[in-house]
Amino acid sequence: MRDRLLLLIFAAAAIAAAAVLPTPTAGQARSTAQMPDLQGIWQVSDTSLAYNVEPHTATYGVPAGQGAIADTPNKMIPYLPAAAARRQDNFKNRAALDPINQCFKPGVPRITYLHFPFQIIQTPTQVTFVYEYIHNTRNIYLNRKEHLDGLDFWNGDSIGRYEGNTLVVDAADFNDQTWLDASGNHHSEALKVQERYTRTDPNTITYEVTLTDPKVYSRPWKMSMLLYRHREPNFRILEYECHAYAEDAERAK
Amino acid sequence: MSATPTLKTLKGQSSGEQKEIQMKNGLLGSIIAMAAGVAIVSLVSVPIAGQGGQPAPAQEGRGGRGAAGGRGGAPAGPPAGPVKRLPDGKPDLNGYWAGGPGGLANIRTAITEVGGQPAPQNPAERIPYQPAAAAKAEANQKNMFEEPELHCFLSGVPSQTYRQFGFQIIQTPGYMLTVNEFMGAVRHIPTDGRPHIPENIKLFNGDSVGHWEGDTLVVETTNNNDRTWLDNYGNAHSDALIVLEKWTPVDANNIQYEATLTDPKTYTAPFKIAGTYRRAQLNDPTYEQMEFACIEGNQDIHHYTEAAGGKAKEAPLAHPPGTEVAPGAGRGGRGRGGAGGPPQGPPRQ
Repeated sequence: MRDRLLLLIFAAAAIAAAAVLPTPTAGQARSTAQMPDLQGIWQVSDTSLAYNVEPHTATYGVPAGQGAIADTPNKMIPYLPAAAARRQDNFKNRAALDPINQCFKPGVPRITYLHFPFQIIQTPTQVTFVYEYIHNTRNIYLNRKEHLDGLDFWNGDSIGRYEGNTLVVDAADFNDQTWLDASGNHHSEALKVQERYTRTDPNTITYEVTLTDPKVYSRPWKMSMLLYRHREPNFRILEYECHAYAEDAERAK
Repeated sequence: MSATPTLKTLKGQSSGEQKEIQMKNGLLGSIIAMAAGVAIVSLVSVPIAGQGGQPAPAQEGRGGRGAAGGRGGAPAGPPAGPVKRLPDGKPDLNGYWAGGPGGLANIRTAITEVGGQPAPQNPAERIPYQPAAAAKAEANQKNMFEEPELHCFLSGVPSQTYRQFGFQIIQTPGYMLTVNEFMGAVRHIPTDGRPHIPENIKLFNGDSVGHWEGDTLVVETTNNNDRTWLDNYGNAHSDALIVLEKWTPVDANNIQYEATLTDPKTYTAPFKIAGTYRRAQLNDPTYEQMEFACIEGNQDIHHYTEAAGGKAKEAPLAHPPGTEVAPGAGRGGRGRGGAGGPPQGPPRQ
């Protein structure tokens, strides 16, 4: 009799707990009520990063910056020797070589700290980032656990999960065509990127991104920067259709 | 850019592009459409191995015209359950959609009303052009180098929504996004009651604001630039264009769609297009849109001779010796299929 009573009490407690504290079972999508809410329009405030993610002095048209690198002693990118030389060459020829000057897709993480806002929209199965820069879109799939085999993308293939208050994004399958900034910092097609988006107050996201690329860097390294919420009334993503304007400029010559 | 093929096929990935059966509007068309409905849905759902999508290799300047387009609207799928709803009771339109009013090849085929009256029987009479605008549309047909998609431009409203490969609706309370695989294009449709942006901002995809009237999403799009076409045939508009769309889900898998186009600088009267969007990829729960890197791999644009408005001195050989190229090869994500030269043969009615 007592055992049955205990069983009943346990069952009732379990039912009550499930009603009060819904938790997703393994493989089930969280409802949007259970996710950390990252929705809104965001932008990096440190404009120096788009030019150069390493610490640098100002030059004409380029503001100085302390860079975003968080975990190397001199705050510089830990390049392998050949890659360091290539970086210097990229810098010297950046006007001709920077893919953004042809209005190409910027890749990840450069797309985050361009001088343009982006919007985050969350559903139970995906997080969608919509960037004003040439309407680039990244779908972060929450239900897929493995990267796509045998494809390469400009902006990579992103799969994500929530860890507590953080959206963790693993991006891979990059091509080698994008840069990290306008100064020639680069990567190979072996690049893997892990991003961590954590909203630390109603209007700020801490963005940390770890880059791993054994063909280019001597070890994984991390950048950290802040994303600020756009709170201007009726702020919305507009358009920057770079290639259209480039064509206009060409035709006007 | 060098044309090193990097595109590989994703095994088992279903193609975004569906074949549409060309149908005339009318009773016969409806009967045939209903009978064929099941067959069409089966076609849509079968994973197509390989690249799928555009028939012409990306590097070919003279490939066939990519879009399947349609004559008349896309037939609705098999009967589905009731309209899905979000917790707040509004219809839940999240998911992948395809079909629509057709008209991609020539918007005349999608026009149902002109000036509030049923559209003329003769398709040639359906667009109520002002004379100067009619001349411009004719000129566009002969100047395919100006086709916006050749330049990787966004397609504008409403044609953005019926471009090839379908689109995904991502909907949250107060905000809706449509994302096309084609061009990776995006439409922002806030439903939070905000006003339009100031009028001297001109956008390829305009500025859309939406609100619900019962189960109908009413979307008004203003702030359009004049750089997009309504179809692949050269029917264009001015920056005075205003588009009023009504999206009415009628069951879980079908949205009745209509769009009224008003442009006092181009047309003598407003006209309406209509069709049905239906859920796509229902049999493929792993379906995802692929990245579309247009400008990065745009080879077509260099193949237009001066006679066609481009810059090439002479037409390139299809395959100069030693330069055989794998079909569909392109850099980065899905390459863009051939826009080809001017349309061959008489316009499709």
